[in-house]
Amino acid sequence: MSSGKQYTALSDSQIEQLKSQGCRAEDWSCVSVAKRLDVSRVINTRFEGTIRIGDLSGTVTSASGLIRPCGIEDATLISCTLGDSVRVVNIGSHIANYDIGDGVCIEDVGIIQTNPGALFGHGTEVEVLNEGGGREVSLFTRMSSQFAHLLCMHRYRPKLIEQLEAIADDQVQRAKSDIGKIAAGVRIAGVPRIIDVNINESAIIWGASALVNGTVLSTADAPTLIGDGVQAHDFIVGEATNITQGAIVAKSYIGQGCQVGKQFSAEGSLFFANCEAFHGEACSIFAGPYTVTHHKSTLLIAGLYSFYNAGSGTNQSNHMYKLGPVHEGKLERGCKTGSFSYMMWPCRVGPFSVVLGKHTRTFDLSDFPFSHIEAAHDGRCMVVPGLNLSTVGTVRDGAKWPTRDRREGCVLRDRISFDVFSPMVVGRMINGHDRLKELMEKTEKSVDTVTISGAQVKRVLLRGGVKYYRSGIHTYLLEKVIARIEGALDRGDGLAGAMAVAPDAVYSERWVDIGGQMMPADRLTGLYQAVESGQIADVDAIESALDAIHSNYSEDEWAWVRQAYKKVFEVDLDQIKADEAVAIADKLLADQSKFLKLILIDASKEFDDVTQVGFGQDGEEADRVEDFRAVRGTYDNNKFIKQMNQAIDDLNNRIEKLRQALAVCA
Amino acid sequence: MSDTAERVKKVVAETLKIDASMINDGSKFVEDLGAESIQSVELVAAFEEEFDIEMDEQGALGVKDVGTAVAFIEKHL
Repeated sequence: MSSGKQYTALSDSQIEQLKSQGCRAEDWSCVSVAKRLDVSRVINTRFEGTIRIGDLSGTVTSASGLIRPCGIEDATLISCTLGDSVRVVNIGSHIANYDIGDGVCIEDVGIIQTNPGALFGHGTEVEVLNEGGGREVSLFTRMSSQFAHLLCMHRYRPKLIEQLEAIADDQVQRAKSDIGKIAAGVRIAGVPRIIDVNINESAIIWGASALVNGTVLSTADAPTLIGDGVQAHDFIVGEATNITQGAIVAKSYIGQGCQVGKQFSAEGSLFFANCEAFHGEACSIFAGPYTVTHHKSTLLIAGLYSFYNAGSGTNQSNHMYKLGPVHEGKLERGCKTGSFSYMMWPCRVGPFSVVLGKHTRTFDLSDFPFSHIEAAHDGRCMVVPGLNLSTVGTVRDGAKWPTRDRREGCVLRDRISFDVFSPMVVGRMINGHDRLKELMEKTEKSVDTVTISGAQVKRVLLRGGVKYYRSGIHTYLLEKVIARIEGALDRGDGLAGAMAVAPDAVYSERWVDIGGQMMPADRLTGLYQAVESGQIADVDAIESALDAIHSNYSEDEWAWVRQAYKKVFEVDLDQIKADEAVAIADKLLADQSKFLKLILIDASKEFDDVTQVGFGQDGEEADRVEDFRAVRGTYDNNKFIKQMNQAIDDLNNRIEKLRQALAVCA
Repeated sequence: MSDTAERVKKVVAETLKIDASMINDGSKFVEDLGAESIQSVELVAAFEEEFDIEMDEQGALGVKDVGTAVAFIEKHL
């Protein structure tokens, strides 16, 4: 910013020249300038209050990308400090109480003003999950998805909430200022109204309708864009984010790497890393990382999501009873809702599940990840547990998320665990497996359907669910063990070393997903205690603690895998011999190959006759096939199919290599 | 018609909730009998229960018509 610069009083000749160029000042003695100021670049400008002006030399890039000369023309500046190489032109009303950095370009704006004691969006109470309140999250710029999750969701720990609110409040008070900031390299054009908004480095604000009480976080390497027609009130926007095309943002946080546009409306909501929201509406939602809604007529309300894809027309309701809304929905990581799906909260959907149809009954399927959940005609929930374990969508989603992280060039605030299979998800699969198995064994064959946690399952599908989960659990555990062995052999360690657990690893049977970061429940308990006792008392300390937990993920996961392996296979990995390791590798090869082949079968459906219905318009039967080939390609040439086939080959090679390495150990 | 074929058709009729007389060896589950994707999973489960077998899932989900299903199941008996 401009605070370190040297400014000197105007000379009499400079004042005379400025006057001759149409400039006026309330008091010329309150105007100071850089020594190298080219006075000829200040035209038709009125100065009020204390004004400091940098050298105005050279050129800047405008919001539209044109190179334009620096200078001040047709403007009223009130109590502002301008850095060097700034362009400020055509200010309809005024710019008041702003510190404007080097290289800033401001053109064609109505009013930019900071009011006394402005908070710049900090301290905005966002009524997440319940628009009637009770889970308010107070905004501040350093808020991570983990911090917000704890503050919003863990109201059952009042001391924790009290401490987190104090940490947030400290950040809010630090943000309070009578002077706003437009940082170096910011480009603003065509905005009627910017009130109490801090704008960080290199942000582009072009054509927005109104920005009031907010902060636009941005860096030179991760610039943020606020575009045409955007109205934002009481907000904080993260780095590398685009909000464009008439989006409306009210009392909301839009995190890093997000894209919001096409008239999307967000109210009382939090969106974390890499969310995408177009066309639809969000009200009081906690959109964890990678929450995506692209279509019209989509209302997300009072829900907790992450890695979520809302199909067109997705709708949810939380019931505005006489005493206010009470119901909440939880779609755990990786869920999808199909076109025109409706969910009447409260419901809880297990990770990586697909929801179709109109659901008017309450259910809790958190122990049944990867399920296919469909509504019967009467609104009852019908579930096929575990069906999506081996579908193309799950595999593709798992691969695509890490490659679509748009948060480059800035400090990453949200910690993200990308793994599809993890102790949290596989732990749920183990629960689901056990519950289905018990039901299967208890239920008479004459029974058509059974009820699980409010959802119905056809009895014959219980066995399938058990099989799906068993297969998924086995594959995950085997893969982890083999990967561990491979790592140890590569390092020259023996088998015993491979199985060792790091001394600082934490084992918990239950894992939790805190705003996209998975961790053992005991790690969370430790964090709770540190915050509640005051040992962690500021934002740096809590974020460092979360970072430390995140960096321990692999070792904590291994601690869990060992215990789970013992429980599932009744084998103690500490005692493992080379020939047993070979047997594990062979079983992984068999199970994983089968899994990949099931994915190939699922993918093949996209090339079958039914899929080709409608192709070959106006032609003969042969034209249908050719038309489909021309548009969609062939099964054998499909990129995904090739990848899956390659994965099978790679797995064979990998296991063979391991067999050879283990033969040396034997 | 073999006993296996009769039982397969019975299971198909019950699972897809259609009249058994509509089912013949050439009937395709999706195109002719209107099976949805999920019902193919249900059919596999129902066949496994009816014949007390564990079918190879890769092969089972690749079966498109009743006649092939009968042959596939007979291999597992």
